[in-house]
Parts: sequence; structure tokens; C-alpha cells
Amino acid sequence: MLRSLIRKSIFLGSAFVAMFFLCSGEVFSQSLEQEATVEENIPTEEGLTVKFVNTDLEGAADALANASAYTVNLQIQDRSFPNGGGSVSEVEVRGVHNGNDIFFGIRWSDATKNDRAIKHEQFRDAVGLMFPLGIVKISPETPFSPRMGDRGKSVNIWHWKADWERDLQADGGYEHVQDVYPDMFHDFDSDPNPCIYNKTVHDSVDLLAGGKAAGSLLSEARGRTVEDLNAVGFGTLTAQEHQDVNGTGAWVDGQWDVIVYRPLATPDANDVQFVPGKSTFFNMAVWNGEDGDRNGLKSVSIRWRPITLESTR
Amino acid sequence: MTLVHNWHLGRTMEYPYFESRPEQQFAAVFNINRCIACQTCTMAHKSTWTYSKGQEYMWWNNVETKPYGGYPQHWDQKILQMLWDNGNNPMEWYTGAEDKNETTAPYGLYNGDTIFELAQNKGLNQVAVGYIPDDKEWRFPNIYEDTAASEQTNYETGAAKESSELPEHKRWFFYLQRVCNHCTYPACLAACPRKAIYKRKEDGIVLIDQKRCRGYRKCVEQCPYKKPMYRGETRMSEKCIACYPRVEGKDPVTKGRRMEARCMAACVGKIRMNGLLSGDYKKPDPKNPLDWLVHIHKVALPLYPQFGTEPNIYYIPPRWAPRSYLRQMFGPGVDEALDKYAAPSRTLMAVLALFRASQTMIAKFEVEDGSKIYESEVMGKKVEVYNDTAIGYAADGTEIVRIQIEEPTWESDEKRMVTY
Repeated sequence: MLRSLIRKSIFLGSAFVAMFFLCSGEVFSQSLEQEATVEENIPTEEGLTVKFVNTDLEGAADALANASAYTVNLQIQDRSFPNGGGSVSEVEVRGVHNGNDIFFGIRWSDATKNDRAIKHEQFRDAVGLMFPLGIVKISPETPFSPRMGDRGKSVNIWHWKADWERDLQADGGYEHVQDVYPDMFHDFDSDPNPCIYNKTVHDSVDLLAGGKAAGSLLSEARGRTVEDLNAVGFGTLTAQEHQDVNGTGAWVDGQWDVIVYRPLATPDANDVQFVPGKSTFFNMAVWNGEDGDRNGLKSVSIRWRPITLESTR
Repeated sequence: MTLVHNWHLGRTMEYPYFESRPEQQFAAVFNINRCIACQTCTMAHKSTWTYSKGQEYMWWNNVETKPYGGYPQHWDQKILQMLWDNGNNPMEWYTGAEDKNETTAPYGLYNGDTIFELAQNKGLNQVAVGYIPDDKEWRFPNIYEDTAASEQTNYETGAAKESSELPEHKRWFFYLQRVCNHCTYPACLAACPRKAIYKRKEDGIVLIDQKRCRGYRKCVEQCPYKKPMYRGETRMSEKCIACYPRVEGKDPVTKGRRMEARCMAACVGKIRMNGLLSGDYKKPDPKNPLDWLVHIHKVALPLYPQFGTEPNIYYIPPRWAPRSYLRQMFGPGVDEALDKYAAPSRTLMAVLALFRASQTMIAKFEVEDGSKIYESEVMGKKVEVYNDTAIGYAADGTEIVRIQIEEPTWESDEKRMVTY
């Protein structure tokens, strides 16, 4: 009797201590994020309307130019560690669809064009569109984290990268180190006709390139500029097996103009599906490579915004 | 942040994850006194792992000349400067008897901020203080090779003979051999927002998962030793992998037994001993040569313990360099370590003989007594050398090496000498 009581009290006592530590914000203050505010689960009143326009891919840019712009205000990502960014205060987004494909026109000011990530100190400009996966209702009673989703509440992220745009235009669809460091192999070579020793070995990148061996989209020509990803919270971003999103972007006079497009419906269960006449939500983030933005260092929109597709009739 | 025990500092410290020590820890002891900077280790590494495109500048193993050299340039001065400028009680150690403990605080108590604590105290948006070296800093990996330091000019230090007298040379430099430290509390691992870096439970080797890495360079930024490196060619980061297939015994040469890493096995100067430390630092195995050198005899010391990552490459400090510089680099254990190294015990002589005697990892050693062969005095201390026999065993108990302190020599017959 006494023994079982002692055993029970030890068990309960340790359970209490464990609960105390689990609940104590101090313990995980840096590895966990701030608690969600109520505001984060109240979508904005106004949102983006995606016009139905009978257009094809070629006409999409014109159709988008005619569509009305919706401005998304951005702020520093200050909710989760490591935080930062905030140099881009707003991004303009336009949307049209033709019954088969949906097109987004995204525009933001950026004084510097950062479209390479090859040097140690180079970071890319990028923009992300995020959609909740499936049909969801978002309210304080039915929360859906705008911070890249949550366990069991997956998001679909479309991530356009400036350096992927540059890769696409490069020979073989991929930029290599020698594009940034043309004299890498013979900087100090006084031979007027320098050669690379052991060229075969040196070029056997596949043999000894972790990224390539792991099949990372970052590490080889992928023939597109937008990455199709899923996440269930910060730190869980994962590229999809099946890439469905395409896009194109250009930097002119301190401004990025990016078009991102995808079929309204895909056979991929990890993709957001768009139905004309229906609504869902979206959120955005912009990375400014000049400021060293990457991962959690970004300018983000905090509240979900509704996105409504005009019906095709 | 959680509290974890760091025995290098003799105290608990802040770290983002709970204390979880591996069953055994990949480690090595480098005897700086013996290094001639031939860079054979560097080339062994290079020809094994980083000969491909995008890795041209990568040297997972490098040997730099201290105090001026560094790869990347000035890596240690920069981190020390951060701790010195902003940290609480920088470089402050308590080394009284009451601050020491045989196993949990052998060097005393470090009272300053670690790289983790400084980042937290300053409310920085990162786990540890650090910086990303730019491409210029990664260039010239052997810059300042053989460049000596001196507080005085060559004229003032006098004749070379006088300026090079022990215990401290007036004009000095030494070689520092550097690989990834496979830290107990890796800052690279802590810094990665994606948890793409992990420390293996079985041998404590720290690896970057190339499937998870997205090239954010947070590890490059926050590793104080600057050993994770960004590979522009693949847009992601890579680091020393401790030649883990060899450590696992996958190389047929050692018949399934654990094998030393390439850079270790290639060492011509026999300065390196590579193996596994016991998992529990409180119960070192006196028969494990690395446990004995690090925990029991305390002749091998961690590199910049004040950073707080509990690095696992240990160094026998150079005898001739200024003690203050060495204490900054290896902590307050320097004086004891150098006393022991200058007048080595019979066991130390035996263990040093086992350095690089085999490329199979030596898990256990024994010493058989031999006769006295030499007697001398070093810095006022009597030194006796015995021709003992050191025997090294692999983890499975097989004897893999047997070596005498005095190497057997033969003299050729005089008739065979050719004189001109």
C-alpha cells in the first residue's frame, strides 16, 4: 500500500515537473516561436479577386497589367526565431485565370538585383505565396497558423527565386562556380594557355556533390523558376516530389516584376486547388538578398487574405 | 534555451537543446610539438572529399601558422573580439581548488560568456554570435606561413640563440592543425533553423543532411571554428564528415574494425591519434588512450573552450609559445599539460609511441615494463626514460600494434660505408 503510494507520488511528481518544464516558456524561449496573436487568425476583410479572362500564357502579362492591383503590407518577421528582414514594406499582387490556369502578377520595389547565391556572401531575392491546403475556415475559433502552417494544417508554398531565373537563362539551365569566378582555376597561373589538371576528376561533380546525390532541386538544372513546397510550421519546409508551378520574373529600374502560374487543379494531393467561384486564403513573403534575407529573415504579411476566383460564366 | 553541463567550462551553460551525449565520441589528440606543417593531412583530406567543382576553396583539414595565420583569415581573432567587446567577464577563469573537480571541472570554472550566452544576453536573432566569412577571407588558406611573432624587433631580441630559450621563446610561431571538432554542443547544429544538421548517437559525428539543407549558411555563420562551408556549385553547405565510412569500419583494409580518418592516418609527423572517447566523461576508461590523455592525464586540451561548444579535437600545446597566448587558446589547463609533457611519465611516453602506429583505431592500450635507457634533467625536473613496450588493441580486443620506446637500430658494417 505504502509502496504503491510512494510509487504513485513519484510518478505524479515527475509528471508535474515535466509539465512545468514543458509549459515554461523560458525553457524553449528560443527554439519555439511566440504564441499566435488573435489577429493572426482573423483574415483581412478585403482580398484579392482573380478575374476570369479568356487568355493564354502569352496574353497573361497583358491581362495581369489590366487587372486591378491588391497591395499586401509586409513587416519584419518577428514571430519566430531566427527573425529578421523587414526591408520590403509592401508588395503588389494581381490575379487572373482562364478557367484552366491561374496567373499571379507580383511587383515590389528593390533597389538592388540579387540573382545569384554562389559566393558565401550572396543571397537571393525571392518571393513566396502561401496557401492553406484543403478547404479551410480561418477564425480565432478555428485557427490556422499564418506562420507556414502547423501540425496537421499543411500549407502549399510557391517560392520564386531570382537566381533560378538566372539559372534558367544560363547554358545548360544552371550557373556554375566559373560563372562567378571565371579565373578560379588559374588565378595565379602564369601559363598563357592554362589548363585544368585532372579535368575529368574535377568535373565529376555528381560523384561528390551531396546536394546532387540527394536530388535537391537547388543543386541542378530544374528548368523552372518557382519551387512548389509544403510546410507544417517553421523549419519544416519541404520541396514536393512533383513540381507544378512555373513563373518568370525580371528586374527593371529598381522593381521586380514576377509572374507565377499553375493549372487551377492538379492531381497532386499536396497542392492547393483553385475552383472558379470559390475562395481560399493567401499570405506573402519577400526576401531581399542584399540584406542577407533567407529563411526566417524576411518581410511577411501577418494576416491571411482572402482570394476569390471569378466564376467562368 | 536549456541548461547543459560543459565540462571544459566546469559549469552548466545555455544551449538550445537538451544534453544528449553520444554513446562514444569521435575525437583526436594532436601533438602540436611534433607538427612540421607538411600539409600531408590537408592533401589527404582534399584528395578524398573536396576535389570537385565548387569545393576549390574548401579545406576541411588545414594547418595554419599561429598567431597570424588563419583559414578563413583571422577567424579566431574575430570571434574572440566579439566575446571580448560585448561579453560579460571575457576570458575570466577561476582556477582555485574549490572551483575544480576531477571530472566535471578539471580546468576550473569559466566565468565569461560563451558564444551562445552572448547571443542570448544581447537578444540577437541567432543562437550564437558569429559571422559569415566572405570569399576573400577563404582565400590563401596558408597565409602567414612560418611568420614569427615577437614583442620586440629582431634587433632587440638579440641573437637567435637567446630569443629561442625555453620556457618561452621571445620570437615564436607554431602550427595549428584544424578539422571539424565534432563538438558535443555544436553551434552549427544549434544554428540551423531546419534541423538539417545532426549529431550521431553512435559516434558523435556531426553531419549536414544534404536532403534537408537549403543553403541558408546559418551554420557557416555560427560555427566559431568556421568549419561548415558553403558550396556555391550546389547552393548548399558542406562540412567535414569525419570519414565516417572509415570510422564505421567499412574500409576492407582494417577487416571491419574502426579506422582512423584520412587526415589522421596520413600524418607523417605522427602527431595525431584518432579514436573514440568514452561516452560518459565522468567515467573515463584509463585503458582507452584518448580518455587517458584527455581526462586522466590532462595533457591534451580543447581548442578555445571558452566558445562553449565542447570541441572534441584535443591538443598537446607547443612548449615554446608564450603561456598567456596558449592559455587564451587552450584554457587554463596549459601549465599542467606542459609540465607533464616536458617531463613525460612512462605511460605518456608509451601512449605517444602509439600515435600513428596503426590506422586501426586503438581502443585500449597496455604498457609492459622495460629497462631504463636514459636519464636527464628538463627544466629542473628529473626525466627517466625506460624502454617500455606499448601495446595497442582494437575495440574487439585484437592486438594491432606493439612498439618499443627505443626504436631498434642496426649499424652497418664499416666496410659497407662508402667514403670519398
